[in-house]
Amino acid sequence: MLRYVLGRLPSALGLLAAASLLIFWLMRLVPGDPVDTLAGPDASPEARAAIRAELGLDQPFLAQYVDWLGDVLTFDLGRSFVVGGQVSDLLAAGAVNTVVLTLTALALAVTLALVTAVTAVVAQRRWLDALLAGINTVALAMPTFATGLLLVLVFAVVVPVLPSGGTPPDGFVARPDIALQYLLLPATCLAVPVWAGLSRFLTEALRSQLRQPYVTTARAVGVRHRRIVLTQALPNALPSAVTVLGIQFGTLLGGAVLVEAIFTWPGLGRLIEEAISGRDYPVVQVLLLLSVAIFVVTQLVTDVVHAWLDPRIRIGGAA
Amino acid sequence: MTDPVTDPLLVVDHLAISFAHPRPAVNDVSLRVGRGEVLALVGESGSGKSMTARAVLGLLPPGARASGSIRFRGEEVLGLPEAELSRFRGSRIAMVFQEPQTALNPVRTVGWQLREALRAHAPVSRAAARARAVELLSQVEIPDPEERLDHYPHQLSGGQKQRVVLALALAGEPELLLADEPTTALDVTVQAEILALLRRIRDRTGTSILLITHNMGVVAEIADRVVVLQQGDVVEEGDTRTLFAAPQYPYTRQLLASVLRLPTPDDVPAAPLRGVPEQAGTPALRFSDVHVRYGSSRRGRAFPAVNGVSLELAPGRVLGLVGESGSGKTTLGRLTAGLVPLAAGRVEVAGEDLFSVGARRRRELRRDLAFVHQDPEASLDPRMTVGASIREPLDIHGVGTPAERRARVLELLEAVRLPADVADRRPRALSGGQRQRIALARALVLRPTLLVADEPTSALDVSVQADVLALFRSLQQELGFACVFISHDLAVVHQVADEVAVLRRGEVVESGLVADVFSRPQHEYTARLLAAVPVPDPAARREPAPLVEVAS
Repeated sequence: MLRYVLGRLPSALGLLAAASLLIFWLMRLVPGDPVDTLAGPDASPEARAAIRAELGLDQPFLAQYVDWLGDVLTFDLGRSFVVGGQVSDLLAAGAVNTVVLTLTALALAVTLALVTAVTAVVAQRRWLDALLAGINTVALAMPTFATGLLLVLVFAVVVPVLPSGGTPPDGFVARPDIALQYLLLPATCLAVPVWAGLSRFLTEALRSQLRQPYVTTARAVGVRHRRIVLTQALPNALPSAVTVLGIQFGTLLGGAVLVEAIFTWPGLGRLIEEAISGRDYPVVQVLLLLSVAIFVVTQLVTDVVHAWLDPRIRIGGAA
Repeated sequence: MTDPVTDPLLVVDHLAISFAHPRPAVNDVSLRVGRGEVLALVGESGSGKSMTARAVLGLLPPGARASGSIRFRGEEVLGLPEAELSRFRGSRIAMVFQEPQTALNPVRTVGWQLREALRAHAPVSRAAARARAVELLSQVEIPDPEERLDHYPHQLSGGQKQRVVLALALAGEPELLLADEPTTALDVTVQAEILALLRRIRDRTGTSILLITHNMGVVAEIADRVVVLQQGDVVEEGDTRTLFAAPQYPYTRQLLASVLRLPTPDDVPAAPLRGVPEQAGTPALRFSDVHVRYGSSRRGRAFPAVNGVSLELAPGRVLGLVGESGSGKTTLGRLTAGLVPLAAGRVEVAGEDLFSVGARRRRELRRDLAFVHQDPEASLDPRMTVGASIREPLDIHGVGTPAERRARVLELLEAVRLPADVADRRPRALSGGQRQRIALARALVLRPTLLVADEPTSALDVSVQADVLALFRSLQQELGFACVFISHDLAVVHQVADEVAVLRRGEVVESGLVADVFSRPQHEYTARLLAAVPVPDPAARREPAPLVEVAS
């Protein structure tokens, strides 16, 4: 098992290194110059050159990259050009909010997907299948900003029971009940597409497991349908569902940018939006690299969980 | 054993099963199983034998409609709702399936699956379930049952898996065991053990067995009575000895006649050579101390698939490679085309070292080499017409004009005894036997000097197998290609090969002329293989000596 994880590490590190170079290079291709933003339109050429030198932007590309990489590896993330302050402080402030939001959404999506998929397969009712498939399609088709605005309209404007945006004033720990009210709308909005994809996949995976010969064996010895679904088909369907969830995690990260904008949620999504509009290279670079790192780690965790769930990988080798 | 007529355990009356397809799967089947009786339900693919058995347990695939009557101890079971059926499943009627590789849940331990089967009928404590599971595994004669409980299916050999499937079926102490081709997927020595075990279980517990099989040898070994099915109808029924001695119905006679038999010691030894007489000159194929390893050798976990094999095949001769699963016979076949990496040794095709010549020359050598695979359904492109499939090698190598290529396709269709209009059909529209003829035609289109046939008739019914083998033999004599013929079926190899090499765990244990090796085996393993083949003659039924299971 440990060997399996170690075997995955080199490619993960390689991917991160390649991504860091690509991100750094792409940032320099983006039209617009941070010096313009900082110096203003009336600055003299000397002032502009001074700013450029101070930011290190007069160095050759590779030197800039190596400099930056060395800083990142020593956790010196530098100063923000535009938003102001240390990048690490900005990250720390936003990260808590985003982590709370995405984890809540993830838990919501996974729980709902398990409940709906298992219910549909256990119940074996045509009308229920049709209903769930309909809801599923709508959920997949609705863009996040539309779901978000709809939720705000219904639960904060027409029936004002939940706050329309912002984070809980006392933080997440002091008053969990209030925190939950603030979390409910954005987390639901973020969870909807992930739930839709995952539950559709899981339902199909369960159905195809039910067609496997081992299920016939279990039926032939008299095990009931519901028990077969829960104790036999589900453990077989889970490994591939975990892989799908890993891929869906990207949707979650991308969705966070939109959801945070809609619900004025001061997280990393909001930060990256501000940083990109201001050409705030240091902030954007670090955030992009961070999201790649999160994605790589997610895939690694996915693989490990997949292997752990499947004894054929976990134990390996025939006797 | 009671009289099946006056006191039957299971009565099937005028059972019919149909799908959306126009031809019903089962047309009109009536049969009785007595208490303690072994009844064999025999037929070729599509005869409806599996569907009949599944109907008894209400395990028909979705969309199937069944009519008629199935009574167990006088109680009607056909058409019962699921909840009612579970009173019967496992506890009174149980089932054993063909494919042990997929019949067990891969992510649950053996012990868990046994416990689940025990709990399906009555609440049982963990400790009691464990004790009973150990007992069941001992009953199916699995060594170290205690230890096996914590194993996953993939850690067991094929034969052990089938024993676990059998233990699951026995968990509810059923009165009737439905066994659907329980030994078909197993090696011949393992098959003999499982059949002997089934017989002992019947003798010990008095369980009736409805055995579904296509193998007349298996029937002769174990069955008390036989019911023969053809396309969903019962065509003949009778006591095993009587039926084998004097089959009444032509289909039964044909079925018995097409069973290939191995020579018995009473037969005239050393039959005359049937192939082209041995020719001097360069061998068509030569393996010199060949080694193949699978897996990474760096981590020290390399598995030797072929371990120091030396063989020679003269032009125009047929070499049979026989062995059980894991013996390396398929690997040797693939090695002939350079499809697996060679760890050590030399492979010479027509005198040239296949692994040291350049890529271009290797491609040229491969042109003279053809493959026929086991499953014609998987090896023909379903979207291409049969004619295009046969012509494809000509197109790839740019042989002849389009008109000549078309003519060659028709010539080959005629050679494999198929009508010319088959060329415009697609593989799906053909039967298994026809598809295998197409695969043979495609293999021969470039006039190969060496043909590798990997289990070419294993997926076919016996009557079709006999035809395809006869065709193969006559084409081989006519066209004079050398052939490596891979099979697990000793009788098939006996039928077509001039020479034979017996493989075991990647090594040749014995080789020589087929007639010599089969009538006077020198190696103890060859003798054991030959002894394990079920003989299609109930009079010759024997209790085989206990065998040590061959790990695969």
